[in-house]
Amino acid sequence: MTGRPPFWPQVVAIARRDLARERRAGEVVWITIPFGAVALLLIPLAVGTNENLLRDIGPGMFWVVVLLFGVLTAVRRTSTETPAQRDAVALLGLDPAAEFTGKVLAGGVMLLGFEVLVGAVAVALYDIDLSGWPWLLLVMPLAAAGLAELGTLSGSIAASLTAGPALIPFLVAPLAIPLLLGATQSAEAIRQGDSILSWILLMAIVALALAVAGVLTARPLQETR
Amino acid sequence: MTTRAPTRRSIHWLDVTAVLGIGTALGFALLTPAERTQGTPARMLYLHVPTIWLAYVAFVVTLVGSVAYLITRRMRWDHVAEASAELGVLFTGLAVIDGMIWAKPIWGVYWTWDARLTLTAIMFFVYVGYLALRRTIGDPEARARRAAILGIVGVLQIPIVHFSVIWWRTLHQPPTLLRPDEMQIDPPLLAALWIGVAAFTLLYVALMRHRIELARLELALHEDATAPAGPVAGDAVSAPEVTAGRSRS
Repeated sequence: MTGRPPFWPQVVAIARRDLARERRAGEVVWITIPFGAVALLLIPLAVGTNENLLRDIGPGMFWVVVLLFGVLTAVRRTSTETPAQRDAVALLGLDPAAEFTGKVLAGGVMLLGFEVLVGAVAVALYDIDLSGWPWLLLVMPLAAAGLAELGTLSGSIAASLTAGPALIPFLVAPLAIPLLLGATQSAEAIRQGDSILSWILLMAIVALALAVAGVLTARPLQETR
Repeated sequence: MTTRAPTRRSIHWLDVTAVLGIGTALGFALLTPAERTQGTPARMLYLHVPTIWLAYVAFVVTLVGSVAYLITRRMRWDHVAEASAELGVLFTGLAVIDGMIWAKPIWGVYWTWDARLTLTAIMFFVYVGYLALRRTIGDPEARARRAAILGIVGVLQIPIVHFSVIWWRTLHQPPTLLRPDEMQIDPPLLAALWIGVAAFTLLYVALMRHRIELARLELALHEDATAPAGPVAGDAVSAPEVTAGRSRS
């Protein structure tokens, strides 16, 4: 009889399972991303189509769409498990912390894809100035990681609740404010020629704190479900 | 199953002290000399600072109750977290409202897109979400466990709200009490402010005591309602056993 597999292979297995389920269902690619693009199309109809105005508000609108619509990746059908599936995972002896980390990894990959594709739409529609773009290589993964952690935590907290699909976005959106601030203020600081290190640090601290909270509370959450 | 009888409703010394403390704080707030630049509207400081202070305290106590519950699994800690979150929402709401009332004569508007105001309103909604989550779960232990995790994560907002006035150039004045550098407030005003903070803290403790007791009674009621039914009349009568076509009672 063999013991429990090491932590990281479990993480990779969970992440691959979630990504495979998403690849089959295509919920993020065919629903969430187009929905985000539609939101970016609607905003100019509401605030006006002045090109200078849109260029100014473009980065902020992009991050708001990422926050509000990216949350939907946490409530996608393929992320929810039936009680039988949850029992099977628990009986397999998977480490709850590895399960949390694997789900965050898969969610982060999906959110990063969401950010890149919706970001391209935002650049095209709002003519966003991309100077200082290399910083995005740091800001986008940090925002994706933080949102994925929040989505996974909230998804676990609200698992199997009838009000869950309504509750998760409500729980995630206000908690994601530090990430939104970090991302939008980074864009603003780049535009002003200021350092963005403090904002990167804020996002990194929040992502780290959420990761620690998720890993430490994974077992009590598994007991609840 | 036995349930501890509800405690007789009585006026506790904490309630009396809290009421006396609030009266004293009100007296100091009205009798202290007016602030030099803002005049009378600045007296809102003696309400605004204690309410936002208690919001912070309440949410930190929610964090402590949540962590303690997850470690000990004792429901009393969940009661502490729940009671404190409710009071935190109450005091945050009060802080937003009294802040808006103060803002009108000073800034000319009730609401402005100031970082501190906006983030405080967001903190309010984080804990409204906490209370909403609690209402959606019937089983007390599942509710306690799930809410505890949100109670831990939610506290991340507090340093961001508090330091927002330092990080961003905003209309809101810098922190009055908990600031990293030196105090910038006259001693008589500071004394009145500290009396207000102490009085409101007493009020918080008194309200916590009542709310925790209420949570304990709610749990006892739930346990009574979901306890397996006890023996009923007729239980002792057993059905006759039938063997080989003949009954044996």
